[in-house]
Amino acid sequence: MPLATARTISLQGATGHLIDVQVDVTRGLVSTSLVGRPDASINEARDRCRVAIGNSGFDWPNTRRVTILLSPADLPKRGPHFDLAIAVGVLAASEAVPRAALAGVVFIGELSLDGRLRSVPGVLPMTMAAASHGIGCVVVPEPQAEEAAMVPGMSVVGVRSLRQVVAALRKEEVPDAPPVQPLSAGPLLSWRGERQVADLDMADVLGMADPRYSVEVAAAGGHHLMLTGPRGAGKTTLAERIPGLLPDLSVEESLELTAIHSLAEALPTSGGLLTRPPFRAPHHSASKASLLGGGTGRVRPGEISRAHNGVLFLDELPLFSSDVLEALRQPLESGEITIARGEEVATFPARAMIVMASNPCPCGDYHPHDRDNRCTCPEVKRRAYRSRLSGPLADRIDITRYVEPVRPHELADPLASPEPSDRIRARVTAARERQRRRYADTPWRLNAEVPGPVLRQRWPLVEKAGVALDAQVYAGRLTRRGATRVHRLAWTVADLRGADLPGPDELDTALRLRDGQPLRLDLLAERAG
Amino acid sequence: MSAPRATVSDRVARAALSRLGEPGDLRLTRLVRELGAVELFDLLAGEKDLAGIYSDVAGRLRALDPQRELDDAAARGIRFVCPGDEEWPSALDDLHAAEPVQGRGGVPVGLWVKGPLSLREATGCAAAVVGSRSATTYGAEVASEIGAQLAGNRVCVVSGAAFGIDQAAHRGALAARGPTIAVLACGVDRAYPSGHKNLLDYIADVGLLVSELPPGCAPTKLRFLSRNRVIAALARGTVVVEAAVRSGALNTANWTTRLHRVLMGVPGPVTSAPSEGVHDLIRRGDAALVTRGADVLELLAPVGSFLVPEARGPERSHDRLTDRERQVLDAVPVSVAVSIGSVARTAGVAEREAAAALRRLTVRGLVESHDGRWRLARRE
Repeated sequence: MPLATARTISLQGATGHLIDVQVDVTRGLVSTSLVGRPDASINEARDRCRVAIGNSGFDWPNTRRVTILLSPADLPKRGPHFDLAIAVGVLAASEAVPRAALAGVVFIGELSLDGRLRSVPGVLPMTMAAASHGIGCVVVPEPQAEEAAMVPGMSVVGVRSLRQVVAALRKEEVPDAPPVQPLSAGPLLSWRGERQVADLDMADVLGMADPRYSVEVAAAGGHHLMLTGPRGAGKTTLAERIPGLLPDLSVEESLELTAIHSLAEALPTSGGLLTRPPFRAPHHSASKASLLGGGTGRVRPGEISRAHNGVLFLDELPLFSSDVLEALRQPLESGEITIARGEEVATFPARAMIVMASNPCPCGDYHPHDRDNRCTCPEVKRRAYRSRLSGPLADRIDITRYVEPVRPHELADPLASPEPSDRIRARVTAARERQRRRYADTPWRLNAEVPGPVLRQRWPLVEKAGVALDAQVYAGRLTRRGATRVHRLAWTVADLRGADLPGPDELDTALRLRDGQPLRLDLLAERAG
Repeated sequence: MSAPRATVSDRVARAALSRLGEPGDLRLTRLVRELGAVELFDLLAGEKDLAGIYSDVAGRLRALDPQRELDDAAARGIRFVCPGDEEWPSALDDLHAAEPVQGRGGVPVGLWVKGPLSLREATGCAAAVVGSRSATTYGAEVASEIGAQLAGNRVCVVSGAAFGIDQAAHRGALAARGPTIAVLACGVDRAYPSGHKNLLDYIADVGLLVSELPPGCAPTKLRFLSRNRVIAALARGTVVVEAAVRSGALNTANWTTRLHRVLMGVPGPVTSAPSEGVHDLIRRGDAALVTRGADVLELLAPVGSFLVPEARGPERSHDRLTDRERQVLDAVPVSVAVSIGSVARTAGVAEREAAAALRRLTVRGLVESHDGRWRLARRE
């Protein structure tokens, strides 16, 4: 029976479905039909494949009826990477390659008319999906073999042309072919200082004892952080240094992040896995689609997903459009973002630590405590500006910190020795390690991710501290959700100190972090000692 | 050993007594005042048990060699300053008349000093800035700001080099390149707390380390209490920044009051435990409320020589109006212009007076008229 099956992967967001490309070649009215909800680019595959097969020196079954089914048929499918599987399926159905060789292999790649392969976006997530479906071997365009090989235990065949694929399947000697262009030809622009975030160190930050500790806690537990303060106080300076406090990503985290960047077609052309936590700082004019994901055609991950396992920095928060801010509420809470469109629902991970910075008023000079306050904004305008940060969004922020401008005497302090990032990173790493061990049998990695009910049940505070926290709720000073956030913060404070359980001291610090009150010096001194 | 020693000088005798006795031991400080240091030392060396002192110090007496101790100290840059010396600050003599606190008191027999400043000159105008070790960052920021502002005005900042407020005050003064003195409860050659070794070294280089205790002595709880009286006595006034209800800083505050010096307190949030002791001092009227260096300077400087300008809001165009003009101005509508008669009725004044007031308000640019009808001037 002239029927062959080649396999490939279809992506919906970050979810991969294993697709059987079934090709049937029979007598009948000569035609080529492609069924199974292909999109426009797959429909064009018929032409690309026919010409590519011809130009590679093989025969398209021109005198037969060719039926190509993409199964399961109910899933909408997208993308030119089906080409390779279709071409191989047709060749197998017309017995140009052995059908048995197709079992257990996934084919990914776009064909050009001369039979060469072209790179496609999303190879890493497709390979990961293939692995999760029990596939042991993928055939991908040569420049992307490295990307696919990041998936542990996967045997990867990198090829340049259809002829090489056929030769490999026939177990013949593989012919030479001109090399394939990588996906993106490299950035159009590069500029000095582009990579400067990586070199920023906390040792350059003088004074700011409270904000420094706040970013350390935020980094250790993955907590969302809000920095307010007059312009020039150092909010951005601090935020840019947060990635430097985070440990390298684990293999699992690297794969997640690299897969997202592969989907966003933002993977650097050289260099394998992304191992450093990302830092994304979208401008405040960013659209909802660019921040959360979407776009025309294929659903692409947004900035919030590209910052997964890293830091998303929203500078000048009140200038972001309000529906963008409102839309942030769900990912802030759940750590993932779901984009639903007529045909498809795409879900991307979005477990970024969100750091927000805001001036206290439109002119940027307002200072709630300082008698030298020079703000000229009317109170009404100031209130309107602050209200951009709506209540529900504010309630999802774990740590609030007012950044005071550094005083002249702090700059002149001859004994100031601000701790460098690597020392802080060592503590953050140790604290994260404690969390990893504690949550080993759960889907969570960091304190900020653990749901409230589970936290209260499995990892409660020391009884006395728990009672004190409840008292805050009954007194109306905290919402229930706020109390959960304080609870998580108390755990992070304990993890940073190396304490086994969060007690009254840790709770006190957590409450101070949440309310933006001054911290206790002995706690900060303990870190230096 | 009981052979009468050749009489030593007053300075050597005082150095010996500082080694023998505990700082602020009332028996010792009183006897030094009554008999003189030389006489007292000779009596003790002669094993005379005055007020039980001899039995207490016999053990220490055996190993004593004050002259060598002075020489050793001098070799390490440590000098012994005692009453009668040019460097002796007379401010310390007030301790004689001050009522003892917890059985401690009196003028120190002498002070061991390390650093380039002259103790007498530096304490010519000095302020103590003290507070809790378990302070908050708020307190530390205020303390270092006050320290910087005082030192910037050449007022020496005296404190105890402890964690928390003390070190913040010193560092503020150092940042302003101004004078600062750390009074220790151990020998000036010891780094206590050990985490403050850099701070102490730096102060020894540019300021002064001072202690009643000779080199080598370790700090004890009681020695801290005696030390506090020296801090209070060296300064014209004491600023307490954050002290919980049982803080040692309140002991210094107590000494300041007994010395009739100026006691000042920096308030914190009313709910903050580390500020509770300070709030208590202010509430009882013992301490004046200060919020910045200028407030402290005003209280410490000779009367009238340093005045803090009164806090006032920005001046507004309405500030200089008479009551009647305001009354009329309030009656002028914002957008729809009205007649003088209507303004006068609404304001409740005579029409003639309203007309005169409106003219004056026009000159000030507060109202405008169109065809004899009045409304408030538009602001750009």
